[in-house]
Amino acid sequence: MTSSSLSLDHSSAHPSAQSSGATSGLGPWSAILLLAPLTLLMLGILLYPLGLTVWTSLYDGQLSVRAYGELATSTLFLKVLRNTIEIAVTGTLVSLVFGYPVALHLAAQPPRRRTACLIMVMLPFWTSILVKSFALVAVFGNQGLLNQLLGYLSGGQVNLPMMFNRVGVVLGMINFLLPFMILSILGSLLALDRRLVLAAETMGAGALRIFWKVILPLSMPGVVAGVLINVTLSIGMYITPALLGGRQDMMVANLVDFYTRQTLDWPAASATAVVLLAISGLLVAMLGRVRGGGLPGGAA
Amino acid sequence: MTFLSASAAPASANPVSVVPTVAPAASAMVELRAVTKRYGQFEALHRIDLSIAKGEFVTLLGPSGSGKTTLLNLIAGMIMPSSGQIVIDGRDATGLPTNQRGLGMVFQNYALMPHMTVFENIAFPLQVRGLARSEIKRKVTDVLDLIQLGHVAGRRPRELSGGQQQRVSLARCIVYNPALILMDEPLGALDKKLREQMQLEIKRLHAELGITMLYVTHDQDEALTMSDRIVLMNGGRIEQEGPPDTLYFKPETVFSAEFIGSSNLIPGEVEAVENGTVTLRTALGRFPVPAPDRPVRAGEPAVLLVRPENMVLTDRPGPTGVTGRIEDSILLGGVVRHFLRCADGTTVIVQELNQPGRAGARRDDTVRAAWSVEHGRLLPPPPAR
Repeated sequence: MTSSSLSLDHSSAHPSAQSSGATSGLGPWSAILLLAPLTLLMLGILLYPLGLTVWTSLYDGQLSVRAYGELATSTLFLKVLRNTIEIAVTGTLVSLVFGYPVALHLAAQPPRRRTACLIMVMLPFWTSILVKSFALVAVFGNQGLLNQLLGYLSGGQVNLPMMFNRVGVVLGMINFLLPFMILSILGSLLALDRRLVLAAETMGAGALRIFWKVILPLSMPGVVAGVLINVTLSIGMYITPALLGGRQDMMVANLVDFYTRQTLDWPAASATAVVLLAISGLLVAMLGRVRGGGLPGGAA
Repeated sequence: MTFLSASAAPASANPVSVVPTVAPAASAMVELRAVTKRYGQFEALHRIDLSIAKGEFVTLLGPSGSGKTTLLNLIAGMIMPSSGQIVIDGRDATGLPTNQRGLGMVFQNYALMPHMTVFENIAFPLQVRGLARSEIKRKVTDVLDLIQLGHVAGRRPRELSGGQQQRVSLARCIVYNPALILMDEPLGALDKKLREQMQLEIKRLHAELGITMLYVTHDQDEALTMSDRIVLMNGGRIEQEGPPDTLYFKPETVFSAEFIGSSNLIPGEVEAVENGTVTLRTALGRFPVPAPDRPVRAGEPAVLLVRPENMVLTDRPGPTGVTGRIEDSILLGGVVRHFLRCADGTTVIVQELNQPGRAGARRDDTVRAAWSVEHGRLLPPPPAR
């Protein structure tokens, strides 16, 4: 599948390259001048601290990789890393399973209705993650709406622990991830020529076969992009596990926080952050190889 | 026309019966009975009655917006009629979903699956039908040979030229031997030469396989070349139907005359009707015209049609003829077309065969163009808009 999505890429992605010709009359100096403010800003607030982090992870009186070596043998780090990957993969898969049908439904709507529905999909996307997390507690918490209802229905027998544990983290995560997954898949589905479905229908194919043989394979670029975006976003998640997770659900970003503020072990914190950055960077690089990066708004 | 009346009779005699046994002649592949399609206030199709015989090649011809594609989509089941009945192969298909109608369809943009190879594309309808793998391989290979594209079986559609893609999409249709193939302007995206080649290829396949074909086009030449019968559509109604010859030589309306072939149309008023001849008074003179089949009364408006190739430049006096100055002459290879400007401003087109050493009329000559009385055709005036 990857090879076909890549060949798709080559035929259609290139027109954008021509637009760069518009500034060619201004000369190299104006390009430097135009880019200078942002470049300086990025140097100051991104590259310098990043460099500092890498330096801290490597310098401990002298240059050494001791911090990394300690990470590799630290049960805490390995457990947290496993947690992180488990949670990220679970959240991504759940969001794929829930997101695909929504995208399919949206793609089938007439444009005006689709816009209205998309606003509903985007609403959580536009809401502060902090606000959303507290809202989730209000709904899914031990005294939340859902548990009150369950308690009322069962006469106080049932109370599902859905917050401050793994379930809570995944719930909060998919709430955050779903719009990215849906938009990414929707982009692929809308690009799909409807006449292919009509052609399959005239040949006698039923809805299920059309989905498996036509719609799903042709929407794979969107699925792959959505999955990569989701994993990338969830792997660096900090607020959600901190607010909705339990003691056992610490993720890598929370570990960095733990090292910097609780144990003041700066080399360990820096090394952890560098490892996280490397994983995310790898995923983003993979994302770049999938057609168009997926998101219509380019929010990746 | 005989088709129409023959098939419509049992339907009106017994309108509720939809079971195959009461379907009229067993030779009808498609029967449309008073099919109407409305979109809100807009009536895209108005009470269409149409019967297509088994093995027939029928073309739906008309300008864009005439309802020809709507009609095709109704038969394919992609849209549902507002009222009326659709019978396919003796079975009431009015409410049947597309995938149960047993059709084939060829699209203008080919609609090949981009993620499948040519082989997989053609195998798809066979897999739907649950054929054995060996059987599929044999059939696909056979049909690839038929369209002479065996060497591209492993390629993806986008690696093929437009003509090759359309042949693959034809092959994908004929491989499962549907009783009826619908074609929606299948050659619209091809250049002229390739289009003519494909027209012949489709005709050949039709003759060899005997599959009923319903073809949609807005190209009159394509319709004339390929069809057993042309159904000319206009504004959601059937303007006229018949063999290409009939539509060309015996148009029944000004619209038909103008849409198929080029035509000289001279409006006038009926002055007298006697002995099977109508005398028409026009701004260019009084002309005798053979009386049409429909009744005509003196005093009513009418239009005289004379095809350009039935006009001759002549000095001999006769009952017909108009005088004008040659404004332009254009050479179209085998024929020459003169544009005569008459005294009242009407332009008359005269088409002559081009012969080597033809003396020919020149530009700015004043000449007389005449026609045999029997080549004139009296048409009703176009409806007022």
